[in-house]
Amino acid sequence: MASERILPLQSAEEAVATGRRRRALSDTEFALAFGVPVLVFLVLVVAYPLGYAVWMSLHRIMFFGGYRSTFVGLRNFERVLVDAGFWWSSWVTVRLTAEAVVLTMLIGLGLALMLNRTRAARGLTRTLVFLPWCVSTYGAGLMFAYLARGQTGLGTSIAYALGYSQPVDLMTSGLVIEVLAVGAAWTMAPLVAFFLLANLQTIPKRLYDLAALDQLSPLETFWHVTLPPLRYTLFVFASIVTVLTMKLFDFVFVMTGGGPGTASATLTYQIYKISFENLDLGYGAAMSFYLLFLIIASTLLLYLVWGRREVLR
Amino acid sequence: MKRRDFAKLAGGTGLAVMTGPWPVKAANAWSLTASSGKPIYFRGWQYKTDVVQSFVDRYNKTMSGHVDYATITGDYPSIMEQKLIAGSELDVLYGNPSQAARYFDGGWVAPADELPNYAEIKAEFLPNLWDAWTYKGHLLGLSYFATTRGAIHVNLKAYQGAGMSDKDFPKTWDDLYDQIFALNAKGVKTPFLPHWFSEWYGISWAFVFEVLNRGGHIADDKTHKPLLTTNKNDLAYKTLAAWKKLWNSKMVPAEVLTYNEAAFIYAYGSGRYVFSPQQLYDLATFNTKGKSQIAGYDGLLPVQGQSWGLLDSALYLITKRKRPQPVTDDVMRFTSWYGFKDNSGQIAVASRWMQLSMLFSAYKSVMESPDAEARIKQSVARPSDARVVLDLYKATPFPSAIWKVAWSEEYNSWLKESLANFLLQNGDIESFIKSSNDKITALNEKYGI
Repeated sequence: MASERILPLQSAEEAVATGRRRRALSDTEFALAFGVPVLVFLVLVVAYPLGYAVWMSLHRIMFFGGYRSTFVGLRNFERVLVDAGFWWSSWVTVRLTAEAVVLTMLIGLGLALMLNRTRAARGLTRTLVFLPWCVSTYGAGLMFAYLARGQTGLGTSIAYALGYSQPVDLMTSGLVIEVLAVGAAWTMAPLVAFFLLANLQTIPKRLYDLAALDQLSPLETFWHVTLPPLRYTLFVFASIVTVLTMKLFDFVFVMTGGGPGTASATLTYQIYKISFENLDLGYGAAMSFYLLFLIIASTLLLYLVWGRREVLR
Repeated sequence: MKRRDFAKLAGGTGLAVMTGPWPVKAANAWSLTASSGKPIYFRGWQYKTDVVQSFVDRYNKTMSGHVDYATITGDYPSIMEQKLIAGSELDVLYGNPSQAARYFDGGWVAPADELPNYAEIKAEFLPNLWDAWTYKGHLLGLSYFATTRGAIHVNLKAYQGAGMSDKDFPKTWDDLYDQIFALNAKGVKTPFLPHWFSEWYGISWAFVFEVLNRGGHIADDKTHKPLLTTNKNDLAYKTLAAWKKLWNSKMVPAEVLTYNEAAFIYAYGSGRYVFSPQQLYDLATFNTKGKSQIAGYDGLLPVQGQSWGLLDSALYLITKRKRPQPVTDDVMRFTSWYGFKDNSGQIAVASRWMQLSMLFSAYKSVMESPDAEARIKQSVARPSDARVVLDLYKATPFPSAIWKVAWSEEYNSWLKESLANFLLQNGDIESFIKSSNDKITALNEKYGI
């Protein structure tokens, strides 16, 4: 038992001498040993649900009077394309995503620059900045609903403090997407900020000294010294935030419930309603594939217009 | 014992044996003590969870039970339905009658007729709740609570401040709208807070109860076929026309469409409004100092020919998930103890809810008790309002046509969204009515009705 334990530390010659030589793994065997478990895991957690979703999207599924399913081919996919609710929700999703991505990146960048300069109480400041990322989106949804409503909200408090007597309601059909975007950015920006901060700290200080020697203005310094090393990280996080916002559900569900009316009914909310309120799982699955296409198309577009240049740079 | 006494006793006993309700006798012999030693899963929505937990603890302690109680957050009807479909660990749950009918049709819940003391339970039921909670000849569950949702609360301070008195109380919905506009013309900025909030029992139920109160029907009680017409005298048409006029007047804050129930109650309790359709039992909340700004001034519009609101109620339902018979027996025991009479023969839980929150019960002995009367008197702003509460409750209608049917929740979800859009987008009344009828027809086809 003891000799087995020290065997890995023995030299090849010693191993030969003890007559217990082990055959070394080939590269392929080594790769398989590590790769197969991962592949099996991925098949279980990704491929199986995805395959099941494809199967559902091709069927009409009923739960009443016992479970039964009928093959309907591509009819569910056709129904989605003529559903006005789907097109409205697609527009809401795109609008929310565009606003949330821009806000998240701007706030994240602003926070990173601030944290990079802060010297006093650095640990405390960083903890406070990171906290919103730790709050559940469910909790954040409740909080933002409270803050955005006229009767309890921040807008009304400010308006009253300024002497106005009218409450300010931000949960209107015209503004609710913007409020959702602000809330989404509030939860995601800290993560972006910390990755950008890591990048900022790799910029050599002498570059700033040189910029000072060249008498660059603060804006020019930011543009020519600070921003270039951040661009790739910004692109990566723009892609991540795009995906996260398009998939956002619980925040929307808790904060607005898709309302007022259908003003904030994103695709995820629409899919939830169809699949779990109306129990039309086949149709819901078909719609979820359109959401998947939208996510892939958006990130691909982002790569083509921005990411490719950053990779080549 | 004298011979005559013996003959009387023997005769009486014989008569009792011959005519006595057998199931009740069987029920009396039925022990409520749990025997399987296995857990019973009891789930409900979030309402005074500490109180529920204390009842459950008492059952577990005194009846050797192993009841596991937890609450469900989020979209309660959908979450429960998924749990029922999946056969999850769920034995007893809260449900509204509309959900209960759907679950029953889905084959996921067992009727309360299967309880050994069913006959005794039936004898205790108030007729209106018996009608509301029986579906296809079966009692769907035991009584959690019943009340009137959409009872019109009146902020008496603001009402009297506008120079009005009880004699001026509106008798119908049309009268009410006329008075709202009259009050507004007198300078009352926000005379009305409509029941248009964003919960699944908000704006959609507001439409249902207003149509019912006016004497209309959205669908047929038996065939469930749609009944609304685009005739301007149709009562749903009148309801939608009144809503449109109210919305366009800007008297109602648009944000009511995004309120949850807490925000809706808070808004009326703030004292900013004169009238609002609210839950009947919230009279107790609105008249309690520290809980509202109108404590001591919250009254109700009495029934003067027309009803107000609809019967809002909830039951304890028993699931049909697969479990060993001894566990099912324990589920029955717990449901009966909790939803009807405890081991001392008292309807303890329902009575406690009556005292705590003024939740009415389906059981006669709870509603007709002096304690209930005292509790109602305690909740009202004026002694005469106690009679108003009971009259209002007695006249409350139940929307059988759209609640005693499998598609109830789906129609409700459609109604909620469509009504909010109707207001926000200045929708066309005829198109709305046509869409509602089309939706009901499509749902009937979907469920083979």
